Amino acid sequence: MRFWEIGKRNLKEIYRNPVLLGFLLGMPVVFMLVFCSAFGQGTVEPVRLSVVDEDQSQASAAFVESLERIEVVELWGEVYSEEAWAKEDMEAGRISLYLLIPRGFQDAAAAGQSVDLGVVYEGADPMAGLRVKPVLEAAGSQFLGMPAPVNVEMKGVESKIENEIVNFFAPGIIVFGLMILISVTAEVIAADREKGFLARMLTTPAKPWEFILGYSLPFIPVLIASTLIYLGVGMAMGLTIVGNLGHAFLIFFLTGLSAVGIGMIVGSLIKSESQAAICWVFIVPLAMISGAWWTVEAMPQGLQNFAGGLPFIHAINASRSVINGVPLSAVMGDLYWLVAWAVVLFSLGIVFFSKRMVG
Amino acid sequence: MDAIETTNVTRKFNGLVAVAGIDLKIRKGELFSLLGPNGAGKTTLVRMLCCLLRPTAGTAFIMGHDITKESFKVKGLIGVSPQDTVLSERLNCWENLSLVGKMHRISSEEVRECSKELLQTMGLMERAGEQVKNFSGGMKRRLSIAMSLVHDPAVLFLDEPTLGLDPQARRAVWEHIALLKKEKTILLTTHYMEEADSLSDRIGIIDEGKIVALGTPEELKRDFFTGCGMVIRAEDIPVGIMQELCGRYARVERINGGVEISHGELDFHEVVEYLFSRGVIVSSATLKQPTLEDVFIQITGKKLRE
Ligand SMILES: Nc1ncnc2c1ncn2[C@@H]1O[C@H](COP(=O)(O)OP(=O)(O)OP(=O)(O)O)[C@@H](O)[C@H]1O
Ligand SMILES: [Mg+2]
Repeated sequence: MRFWEIGKRNLKEIYRNPVLLGFLLGMPVVFMLVFCSAFGQGTVEPVRLSVVDEDQSQASAAFVESLERIEVVELWGEVYSEEAWAKEDMEAGRISLYLLIPRGFQDAAAAGQSVDLGVVYEGADPMAGLRVKPVLEAAGSQFLGMPAPVNVEMKGVESKIENEIVNFFAPGIIVFGLMILISVTAEVIAADREKGFLARMLTTPAKPWEFILGYSLPFIPVLIASTLIYLGVGMAMGLTIVGNLGHAFLIFFLTGLSAVGIGMIVGSLIKSESQAAICWVFIVPLAMISGAWWTVEAMPQGLQNFAGGLPFIHAINASRSVINGVPLSAVMGDLYWLVAWAVVLFSLGIVFFSKRMVG
Repeated sequence: MDAIETTNVTRKFNGLVAVAGIDLKIRKGELFSLLGPNGAGKTTLVRMLCCLLRPTAGTAFIMGHDITKESFKVKGLIGVSPQDTVLSERLNCWENLSLVGKMHRISSEEVRECSKELLQTMGLMERAGEQVKNFSGGMKRRLSIAMSLVHDPAVLFLDEPTLGLDPQARRAVWEHIALLKKEKTILLTTHYMEEADSLSDRIGIIDEGKIVALGTPEELKRDFFTGCGMVIRAEDIPVGIMQELCGRYARVERINGGVEISHGELDFHEVVEYLFSRGVIVSSATLKQPTLEDVFIQITGKKLRE
């Protein structure tokens, strides 16, 4: 198994290189610590949330009632039955944020289907919208996941989230952290090409796929370790995993694979280690349009569609949902997208690598 | 079937012709040396034969396998020691050797046996367990050669194997190469005349991408060196007289404790008389045996770097 031997060699080159190892494992720690200390500590005022209940059903009323138990949310004013009135009040400055429960909520709940809950916030206070979003998502999915909504025990489920800002942003931060692997993997291949070591290996009968696997393999333990660090430090610092930790891990793992796959492609194409810097030309914009640091809803639709074609927006959406308690089955679309990208990227890596085997 | 056969193999780099249509047949078990000045195209030729570069025209066969169409078969048969020493810097000697061995699907035991032997020959046993990044240039070089041998290849490419080695290590490598002769086909590039002269069955002199002379060392010396030369031992020849000598003869070179002169036809007495008449005390004068270096200079008009 040549790829295994190449992988072993590359792993040794990494773990015997204290600087690189320090970067790979230290960066997640620092990243998460800084992020969580920035947003994780301050005491948070409850958000004043108004409700528009267009459904006017038993289920919707029960749902609104359940929201009262969420600590970070303070239900504000009367429950509107039509959105127009809420809009009017918002324009008049009486409310700044409202939740829209659409018509058909009860039917959907009974049928076990999902519903798009709307959150509308005043432009002046975008943070309020961001803060309640994960909480409402969690509450809504939890509520709709039950077969008989009227009898739901909702006690304190959503209030598990200690700090909704951390919960909202952490997935994006982690995905961005994993995207840095793009440049690291590209560098590792390019350095070997530049020094001529790859040429030496290319005089042996190893196949392109064996090289691609051999160069990605050592990043599997790196990926596992850094994902665990991200989640571990995050949880120690205020990230609440409402949903399944294993599922969240799986999503981050697939994200990392895509990053390594892109790194393999770039590494196959560039000539020298220093050229790996070009990765940053797309890592940062990619992180931006994928919503690593903010919500993408405000972006133009065209850009949203474009980002939707790429893997990372799905990684952020899926991990955010799963962390906030949405079952994995509800994000299978995102998950398939990630798997498909990983397969495509690695195949492309092999194609590009074999093109560059002979000069 | 020849071990290495090239037909009009050519490589251009954006207009620069590095290898200009070389036809070469190297028999199985032969040790063939490529001799040429810097930039002659030696490395480019070797890289094509190792399937690292695609020929712009022509092709070559290694043990009957086409380098462009059956590259993986070819790669299974060859061992390569590249001109620039490249090792996996954070691995130790054993691990470097085993990596190459495993690429050729050699069993761990065999790799271990073979590595032991090679490390002994190359004088690396004592520090075999150390990461090679701290090794000296010469030690790395020796490991690099060992890496080309660990899988016991049928055809061996050694691109300037003894570059940067001290005389003792160079001799050890030569002895090892001599042992491999007959058993393997070896293509060696070098700029050490002594190396080419003593080791090679045949030598090809390459200049500007073309083979300009081909034959056994003796044939080359016999057929291509037409002039004659002499070595004169004399104390302190003044600069003025050196200049006069340069005016009279094709090649004049000051050597330690005397001067070396080469010319198409050289009258032994005339030279000595002339020096006497200018007051130079000649302690000895001998005719010089033609060396490969002379042949080389005669053919290419260039000196090999030393
Ligand atoms: N990758 C490349 N791109 C462009 N030109 C190249 C490349 N490789 C080699 N050349 C050119 O081809 C010519 C032959 O180079 P090559 O390395 O084969 O010479 P050489 O005989 O091995 O010389 P040396 O004794 O210095 O090693 C040189 O002019 C060199 O500049
Ligand atoms: Mg060379």
